[in-house]
Amino acid sequence: MSAPHNDANFGIGTLCMISICVKNLNKRYRARDGDVPALADVNIEVAEGEFVTIVGPSGCGKSTLLYILGGFLGADGGTIEVNGKAVTGPGVDRGIVFQEYALFPWLTVAQNIRYGLEMSGTPGRQCAEIVERLVRTIGLQGFEHRFPRELSGGMKQRVAIARTLAYDPKILLLDEPFGALDALTREGMQDELLRLWQATRKTVVMVTHDVNEAVYLSGRVLVMSQRPGRIVQEFPVTIDRAGEREVTVLNDDFNHLRNEVWLAVRRQAGANAGASEAARDA
Amino acid sequence: MPVAERAHAARGMLAALWAALRYCYPLLLVLLLWELVARAELIRPLFLPTVTTVLEQFWVLLFEGEIVAPLLVSLYRAFAGLALAVVFGVLAGLWMARSKWAHWALDPLVSLGFPAPKIAFVPIFILWFGIDHLSKILLVAFTCVFPMIVATYHGAAAVSRTVIWSAEAMGTSERKLLSRIIFPAAQPYIFSGVRVTVPVALIIAFTAEMIAGGGGVGAALMFAQRFFQTPTVFVYILVMLATGLVLDLVMLRLRHWLIPWDDEAV
Amino acid sequence: MALSVAPRAWLQGGSLSSWLRAAARYLPIAIVVLVWQLVVEFDLVDRAFLPSFSETVRALWEMTRNGEIVVNLLVSLYRALGGLLIGSLLGVAIGLAMATSRRADQFFGPLVATTYSLPKTSLVPLFILWFGIGNVTNMLSVVLACLLPVIVSTYHGVKAVPPVIVWSARAMGTPHRLVLWRILLPSASLSIFTGIRIALGFCFVLTISAEMIASRTGIGKLIFFYGESGAYAYMFGGLLAIVIVAYAADRALLAAMHYFLRWHDSIHAAHAGG
Repeated sequence: MSAPHNDANFGIGTLCMISICVKNLNKRYRARDGDVPALADVNIEVAEGEFVTIVGPSGCGKSTLLYILGGFLGADGGTIEVNGKAVTGPGVDRGIVFQEYALFPWLTVAQNIRYGLEMSGTPGRQCAEIVERLVRTIGLQGFEHRFPRELSGGMKQRVAIARTLAYDPKILLLDEPFGALDALTREGMQDELLRLWQATRKTVVMVTHDVNEAVYLSGRVLVMSQRPGRIVQEFPVTIDRAGEREVTVLNDDFNHLRNEVWLAVRRQAGANAGASEAARDA
Repeated sequence: MPVAERAHAARGMLAALWAALRYCYPLLLVLLLWELVARAELIRPLFLPTVTTVLEQFWVLLFEGEIVAPLLVSLYRAFAGLALAVVFGVLAGLWMARSKWAHWALDPLVSLGFPAPKIAFVPIFILWFGIDHLSKILLVAFTCVFPMIVATYHGAAAVSRTVIWSAEAMGTSERKLLSRIIFPAAQPYIFSGVRVTVPVALIIAFTAEMIAGGGGVGAALMFAQRFFQTPTVFVYILVMLATGLVLDLVMLRLRHWLIPWDDEAV
Repeated sequence: MALSVAPRAWLQGGSLSSWLRAAARYLPIAIVVLVWQLVVEFDLVDRAFLPSFSETVRALWEMTRNGEIVVNLLVSLYRALGGLLIGSLLGVAIGLAMATSRRADQFFGPLVATTYSLPKTSLVPLFILWFGIGNVTNMLSVVLACLLPVIVSTYHGVKAVPPVIVWSARAMGTPHRLVLWRILLPSASLSIFTGIRIALGFCFVLTISAEMIASRTGIGKLIFFYGESGAYAYMFGGLLAIVIVAYAADRALLAAMHYFLRWHDSIHAAHAGG
């Protein structure tokens, strides 16, 4: 049963490269009255071409983890290796998409998308071709020369994703990419992301608080505990994504898995704040 | 206080002193450099007296009454002018925010007057109001009224219309609306405007005195310069600097006291 | 304040042409000028104290014809705008350094905070002692006056750049030295321009002040000279000239801002400050 859309299942004996390897990761924030632990002993392995999502209660440190993976923040302990090399800073092998889009407001849509290409020294003609192709892929023909202020949230996020894909990083880091969008736009964007991933097979690590989204998109869902965050549970996702969204979402397997993940997250969220509640429920 | 606590408090104060010194190190560096260069006479004393000479001259002038009296004159002019500007500016700004006709009538005048270098009006004000206090006070008022109008207007215009509609729905008259809703809401902006305008008032007062004479620190400064009394020139510059600093600190304290409910650093 | 906030109600009614609308906008000024003229015409005010508008215009016209106004305006503009340019470039550089380097912040910070309260015109007599009467004294005062607002606004603008913008740029391979030029400066440009606009106001004030205190040339000197010699129509003429020039310069800067910052989502709100 290896339908082309059944992504998560690599099968026993499949040779795969470990793309991202996180061991015993620790992170502390310096506050006025002592240190606040953000991440404690995080261990993750992501294979090449995998789509992994990290979920957890608010403030558990999942975004922090992503920023450390991206090289924007440093760790206080443990190791992170990407494709065998330690992470020392941001790099073109790890593209990032932020919840706030982080588009360069003084550049047009086209200029934003070609930015990474310019940085890598791609010749002008090639730039233009890649930009044109991406603009068509995200469906924003006619908007190439608009500024981000003239775009809606969904359009901005599409540009942000296109911008990151333009220079073809091997790994995609997504920090709650659709968090700022309304529900309908979010669903459309999720489908687009899925299509893009299925076409490019990049390694994706996504952080989200939306459990639905996590199960819908990824091959593996990791649940993080309350602060200080650590990975406490893992759910392989083996749903069938062959059909349309309606088919997938209304499927029993999907809902069952989604409920399990949701419960797991809820348990983590209530872990500290619900000792008495748990006693009551027992 | 028991000994241990006293020692701890002393250490705390020492630490604070050390931190303050560390913060000021560029200033101390400049002063040191100045003193050394002047002592070695790398620049002639006529052009650069030593720091110690300047400080000595300060005491001399202070005891001769040449510091406090002119300073009070300048401050009087600056603040009288500022008071006028604040009163007129706030009234005009509020009116412009509430009345479309007032806005239409005053806006081009404010737009024209704001960028104009109003110091150029010194000769006119001297012609009309003489060389003593009145001309300086009115020039200060004329210069400061523009930023006050703008600040008040922005503060009043920033009141969200839903707030105004709620008040109107509850039967607030126009006058009450102005005094109990709009004016308080605009206060942070007005205060910010005053804070920014205080140094302007000082500058205009000092500069007008430098150009036209008639008492005050500016005139004293020009007098010293004309007779090449360089240490005195430096003393008056430092007096102006100190006055500006003290006033700004006072404004900061005043803000905390007058508008404690506003947490926005406008 | 742009008149975009003007009384739209009656202006938009009907089919008024844009010409009429522009005229309506400047009507209050025309009314003031009219009142000015009438007040003097009907001897409500002594002609010795207030020449009429027509006299002022005539005097200005004469000064334009014999080149006096143009020469002096050019001298003053050279000093003012030259000082503004140097002060702005230095100010941006220092502000940028302060915002990106802890060392620079610790060094310049206290210096900026202290000299902020010093009226730069007070340095004019000192500069006259040091450099005599002329362009150096004038321009140096202007540079110092323009430095501080530009430093402060650049500093705040750069500090306010959202980290995710810098992070995105770095993730896309921007080397450190380019981040400054291609990311920080464009991102902070609204703030920087606002600081330059404030400095523009200062540069005229400083130039005129220095010229009035002591100078042989310049529009400030011209106004002062005619004031001293009692030729009030000419004094008012010079005044009118500089008010118009300063207004035009401010509008030009605003227009430049609107063009270079047309991508900014709050450029229209940035009309704050007249």
